[in-house]
Amino acid sequence: MLSVKKYLLLSGLIAALWSLPACQKEEAPLPSIAAIAVTNPDFSTLEDAAVLGGVAAVLSNPNPNDPQGAYTVFAPNNAAFARLGLNSGADLRVLQPAFLTSTLLYHVSGGNLRGDRLTNGASSASALGPTRRVVVRGSDRYLNGSKILATDVAASNGTVHVIDKVLLATGADIVQSALALRDAKVFVGPELSFLVEAVLYAELADALTAKPGSPSFTVFAPTDAAFRQLGQDLGVPLKVPADIRKLPKDVVTNVLLNHVVADGGKFNPEMNAGSIMPLGGTPLTIGAFANGVVTVRGKGNDAAANMVIPDVQTTNGVVHVIDRVLLP
Amino acid sequence: MRTHLILTAMLLGAVAFTASAQSIVNGFFSGKGHGAVALSYSAEHYDNVFLVPNEVKGVPIFREVSVNSVSVFATYGVTDRLEASLTLPYITARGNADPAVLEGLGFENERKGLQDLSLALKYLAYRLNVGAGRLDVAVSAGLRTPVGNYRVDEGLQSILAIGNRATAVTSLALLHWQSAMGLFVTAQGGYSVRSGEVPDAWVGELKAGYAHRAFYVDVWYAGQRSTGGVNILGEGFTGFFPATDVTFTRAGLSAFVPVVGGLGLSGGVSKYLTGRNVGEATGFYGGVVYNF
Repeated sequence: MLSVKKYLLLSGLIAALWSLPACQKEEAPLPSIAAIAVTNPDFSTLEDAAVLGGVAAVLSNPNPNDPQGAYTVFAPNNAAFARLGLNSGADLRVLQPAFLTSTLLYHVSGGNLRGDRLTNGASSASALGPTRRVVVRGSDRYLNGSKILATDVAASNGTVHVIDKVLLATGADIVQSALALRDAKVFVGPELSFLVEAVLYAELADALTAKPGSPSFTVFAPTDAAFRQLGQDLGVPLKVPADIRKLPKDVVTNVLLNHVVADGGKFNPEMNAGSIMPLGGTPLTIGAFANGVVTVRGKGNDAAANMVIPDVQTTNGVVHVIDRVLLP
Repeated sequence: MRTHLILTAMLLGAVAFTASAQSIVNGFFSGKGHGAVALSYSAEHYDNVFLVPNEVKGVPIFREVSVNSVSVFATYGVTDRLEASLTLPYITARGNADPAVLEGLGFENERKGLQDLSLALKYLAYRLNVGAGRLDVAVSAGLRTPVGNYRVDEGLQSILAIGNRATAVTSLALLHWQSAMGLFVTAQGGYSVRSGEVPDAWVGELKAGYAHRAFYVDVWYAGQRSTGGVNILGEGFTGFFPATDVTFTRAGLSAFVPVVGGLGLSGGVSKYLTGRNVGEATGFYGGVVYNF
């Protein structure tokens, strides 16, 4: 027969066992950078990018190469990806996986880079290699061309700052970057094929190749669609890149030089409305800075070109992919 | 035998929940030579996940997950004091990921297969008459081991893994009180030792209900607390889900009605209330029971 004492003891034991799962554990730690991206609905495209780019597990854990175990991540929100037409994980499939991964790494650096250290002219090396620079315009701060929307979101393994544009860097010079796009190493389909053909035809590749002591440029790079449109507008058939070679070489050279400014390479927040002088010698008109970008118009254009992919960092300048060929 | 039929039904309250490592043991004994066999179907769905420290809306990659299972369950009274039970589920887990994302990752939206065989022995240690009712004290030992060839090592694909491939040995103590009117309360708690990288866990369940000639109903509250393990997307997470801390509480309701002869129908609903590294699933089940 079970005594009352034993009964009470057993009841207590079982009640204690039963209550264990309901106990709260020690106070919850900070979420990791990966968990912040996954749990915040405004980072859902970044979440997909991190998964597709294979960095989700890395950004869940402390940085093994930093004494504090920290990373700093500049996190593009969904609107930032949407500016590039990337609205979902499925859209990210237009990017080559290797390029996606390197792009993500360009948003990451080791250690805690606090928001108060993001001052005008400051630079920060990325995990990809190339450095990024802080630009202050008015009361806003930018990293390259990306506006910093929020700073110092604390994570268990570092710090997150929110930005409104995806940071892009090729890790190569202007010519190699354009070739990578043409050869479908960035997007799964070729891009800038006409531009590359034109540069080769005009023998400008050497001038735009990075060499010790060579200058850096701002380059406005028209898309393939822009060249096809130009062909239609001029009544010249520009259907495939080789068609460029049907045009007089000096004309092609002049048009190309109208897209290159020897100003060290400017991101959008570093450009102001007014005139700038390209290598071709006919001024370009820069439009008002709005929503993080400017427009650019050649003297021979009846409308300004818009930024399709702004602020691409290369090793010898900044490339802005635009939707119209700039005519002198 | 009235009580036999009803009590056996009570054994089935847990049948549908074995997919989530729920106890297959309860406070009732069938009696020597008696038992039941049941076939049940369960469906669970979740689109939120309890991560640490925050819940995430939308399952990573798969957006939402549906888990359906078909289980066989049997219980048999070896003696009046010793009961043996077993269950084996076939589980299908489906996600709803964008096909383009799946292609990019080389993932699939479905994982299915035979999961784990669970066996349990339960022994009635004491029976104590308390007023018009009685109090039973029982202990149980259970073994659960994978019998299917499902995988758990497919990285984030294993969000859809149908189990954790651990072999688990679970010891339980049970207190069961029931009144002459048919009201009952069962409390059980214990410890589960798991193989490999799967953390051990404390498990428990509290159940209260009413058993009548014409029907049976109970409500339950259950939980598990891992003694270790990593958090998904937390420090130490490598994409290997079995190593995660799986802690949760859940609640549900079960019912049974006898139909004809030894046959009856059972059904129920369940919901996860709190958790760590587990889907916030809501589910239901239904089954056919044969008593002997």
